[in-house]
Amino acid sequence: MKKYNVVGHSVRRLDAAEKATGTAMFSTDFTLPGMLYGKVLRSPYAHAKIVNIDTTEAEKLPGVKAVTTYRNTPREIFNTSATMTFTVPALKPVLDQYIFDNVVRYVGDEVAAVAAVSEEIAEEALQLIKVEYEELPTVFDPLEAMKPEAPVIHADCGEGKNIPGEIIKIPVGDLKKGFEECDVIIEKRFLLPIVKQVQMETQAAVAQVGVDGKITVWSTTQTPHPTRMIIAKIFGVPNSKIRVLNPPYVGGGFGVRIGLSAKAEPIAVALAMQAGKPVKIVYSRKEDFIASDTRHGGYVTVKLGAKKDGTFHALDLRAALNGGAYCSFSTETPGVLGAMGLSVYRIPNQSYFGHSVYTNTTPAGAMRGFGNPQAMFPIESVVDMLAEELGMDPLELRLKNIMKVGDPWCLPYPCNSTGLAECIEKGAKSIGWERRGRLNQPGAKKLRGIGVGVGTHCSNSWPFCVDYDNAIVTVQQDGSIHLASGVPDIGTGTSTALPQLAAEVLGVKLEEVSLTFGDTLSTPFDIGSHASRTCYAAGTAVVAAAKDARKQLLEYAGDFLKVSPERLEIKDSLIYITGQELVGDCAGTGVCQSGEERKSVTLQELAYHAHLRNKQFIGVGRIVPENAPPWHAHFAEVEVDTETGQVKVIKVVAAHDVGKAINPIIVEGQIEGGVLQGVGYAVTEEIRYDAKGRQLHNSLHKYMLLTAEDVPEIEAILIEANEPSGPFGAKGVGEAGLVPTAGAISNAVYNATGLRFYDIPLTEEKVFKALKGDGPATY
Amino acid sequence: MSAKILTFTLNGETTKVMVEPSDMLVDVLRDKLNLIGVKKGCGQGECGACTVIMNGEAVTSCIVPAMKAEGAVVETVEGIGGPGKYHPLQESFMDLGAIQCGFCTPGMIMSAKALLDQNEQPTREEIREAISGNICRCTGYVKIEEAVSAAAKQIKEGK
Ligand code: FES
Ligand code: FES
Repeated sequence: MKKYNVVGHSVRRLDAAEKATGTAMFSTDFTLPGMLYGKVLRSPYAHAKIVNIDTTEAEKLPGVKAVTTYRNTPREIFNTSATMTFTVPALKPVLDQYIFDNVVRYVGDEVAAVAAVSEEIAEEALQLIKVEYEELPTVFDPLEAMKPEAPVIHADCGEGKNIPGEIIKIPVGDLKKGFEECDVIIEKRFLLPIVKQVQMETQAAVAQVGVDGKITVWSTTQTPHPTRMIIAKIFGVPNSKIRVLNPPYVGGGFGVRIGLSAKAEPIAVALAMQAGKPVKIVYSRKEDFIASDTRHGGYVTVKLGAKKDGTFHALDLRAALNGGAYCSFSTETPGVLGAMGLSVYRIPNQSYFGHSVYTNTTPAGAMRGFGNPQAMFPIESVVDMLAEELGMDPLELRLKNIMKVGDPWCLPYPCNSTGLAECIEKGAKSIGWERRGRLNQPGAKKLRGIGVGVGTHCSNSWPFCVDYDNAIVTVQQDGSIHLASGVPDIGTGTSTALPQLAAEVLGVKLEEVSLTFGDTLSTPFDIGSHASRTCYAAGTAVVAAAKDARKQLLEYAGDFLKVSPERLEIKDSLIYITGQELVGDCAGTGVCQSGEERKSVTLQELAYHAHLRNKQFIGVGRIVPENAPPWHAHFAEVEVDTETGQVKVIKVVAAHDVGKAINPIIVEGQIEGGVLQGVGYAVTEEIRYDAKGRQLHNSLHKYMLLTAEDVPEIEAILIEANEPSGPFGAKGVGEAGLVPTAGAISNAVYNATGLRFYDIPLTEEKVFKALKGDGPATY
Repeated sequence: MSAKILTFTLNGETTKVMVEPSDMLVDVLRDKLNLIGVKKGCGQGECGACTVIMNGEAVTSCIVPAMKAEGAVVETVEGIGGPGKYHPLQESFMDLGAIQCGFCTPGMIMSAKALLDQNEQPTREEIREAISGNICRCTGYVKIEEAVSAAAKQIKEGK
């Protein structure tokens, strides 16, 4: 494998020092002179009409500077998610939200907001707002919400009662005939839970509106450029008069702020406009839970058929997801569920039919994996059931059917690379797959089991969504490099990996490169950080920009050194003629005489030489990324306590084909973090609602996050099946760690206990009940 | 009760600041003393982001009334090291990939420091217990645990 100077090395993150010393600035830390504090009044009802709203008392409270409701804010319809800026025609984005409306559709929906000189006064003012509600009928289950008698949550639903946007249908081959030709068919319906991103920094925004009408918003968004477009639409202000930026750090994302940070940005802007002062809004943890997007729960049905020899022949996948009260990403998420679910195995006859359904719960939107975990827990469960039915080893069955390079599939881009077979082989070896079936002594109270789950994902969202990147590389007058890219760093290491790519292409040390990112004013348009795309797609633009700058440098250096540019190479900021002895060359010594014959020149000398002749090297990268599938196989070993029902995950081996790890320690960290979120998805995490539509798990204490004491042994294995379309062979990795984990764990629980669960999380209570005779619930 | 001047030792310096009875230590540190390294992730003692060391113990400063800090010795991440003289925990967090979004990092480092100040050779279980009140949603804790044990070794060898 080719060795690089900067790429492929686990260099220290460029943001590490700021973050380790407490000097890193996040939106929640940001302040401005004269800044006010905004607070939001939220609906206590799951569905109601606002009959009257009286803000006079609140306005009179000393220290209150602005009060906003549906009456004095723009009546401009939007979607808090970035989907409204990147849905590809002929599909139309679903727009169904206002900053405030006169109907509230879930507990936590925005009713009014106040800006005051302190948070306490703002809170006090909220209590003084009098709202008269007329309660409306509610529905919380997606299947119920489709019934004719269900309340209408949003009226314009062309595809069926309470169904937002389009139903996604993906047909491949002849499904009916396919099933007729199968020897074994298994069909099961699964129930997926609603879970939350629980990024550590809650939603936050600081908005400033200048006397010239220009708007600046510092916020936690994962997509500053699309977010600017949304704000422009809401307030009827040109894009060019709005600046959206991260300050520059964001305390995690996991999808929750692709687009707006819930409604933090527009509410802060509306209040700032009215008050004439900057306004800061920071969601409380409870607000973050109840009033920012969750993952979609809902129902997923898998019908899988195979020939006697184990060849998969037909797959019917169906999904009805709980979209909550507003659309957000409710059309794209079922799309990815289907597209990914159909692309892991080579199956000639397939069909997907999926959509979301509006209910009176917190809106569901993007969360790491974006529909894919909802596909793969059911699919990988059914694959294991089929293996048992056929009397085959689950690994053998998978290896027989997994997608190979060049296989036809439903995705509109080719499968150029797959290291899945290698992932399966290496992962199996590491977990000790051969121990399976010999793990337990007769009569043991704690039963061990091993399970597997595999999958794929994407490396950006093209051609499903608008997806393009720009980057600019500017060689400074002293030969150092400035790089500008509009993507944020939400913790995934973008602000280190992108400079690594630029440094490698330009032949300079990493320290020579400095990056400006996550700011619409100082960077060209970039769609943002989502869909595991940042390193792959923004990285492709960075490589293109760096190559452009490099070409200009070498052309200029060719004239300077009087050789053809093709003969030049750059290393450690020194441009030299290849194949020539450099000893005795004056470059970099500062003692070159004019007229001396030169074999090399430093970037510093060259850039200054150019500067004195009115020239700067500026490289531009403008790309539309291709797309590429990352692959992964997870192996879980669990221990089930048959007396309590507790499922303890002992070890997870996560083998990932990442194409090429630009910074291996960062890649491992992405996988480990994704795995633990996947373990939580499988075993503990869930948001349930009471009969009135109130979340029962709306705090960190109630929402069962795993802590350091619960962490299983996690082993990340990196497979590098070079992806020709990616920068230095890389592909997406951010989301994949979460995708196959629940399937692997549920299969391990089956291996341990013989109990097949059709829903997660596998809580102590649920498993205990199943063990004590009720058996697992079916759906 | 009314506002009063709180006097305490903050990162080695005698500090005086006006506080209200309802003020929590986290808000005084962040808003009045501009120590933004003290993060706030929940305000309810449930995430650990606001962890500081008070009289040698790691505390979640969002549930400590500021007035309780009268006469106390308080350390925040800003006070434990910086360029040229990083604390071994800061070094190991930076080198071993224990930092992603960084929002949990200061609190995590302070919980770990409170442990290492008292226990030079913590076991894996003791490390896990010490940081069990600090939520990190990014890392899966794997590299954080490694970083804490590496720092412990470093400190011991440095002596
Ligand atoms: S902010 Fe103090 S524990 Fe979360
Ligand atoms: S690094 Fe993001 S929460 Fe720990």
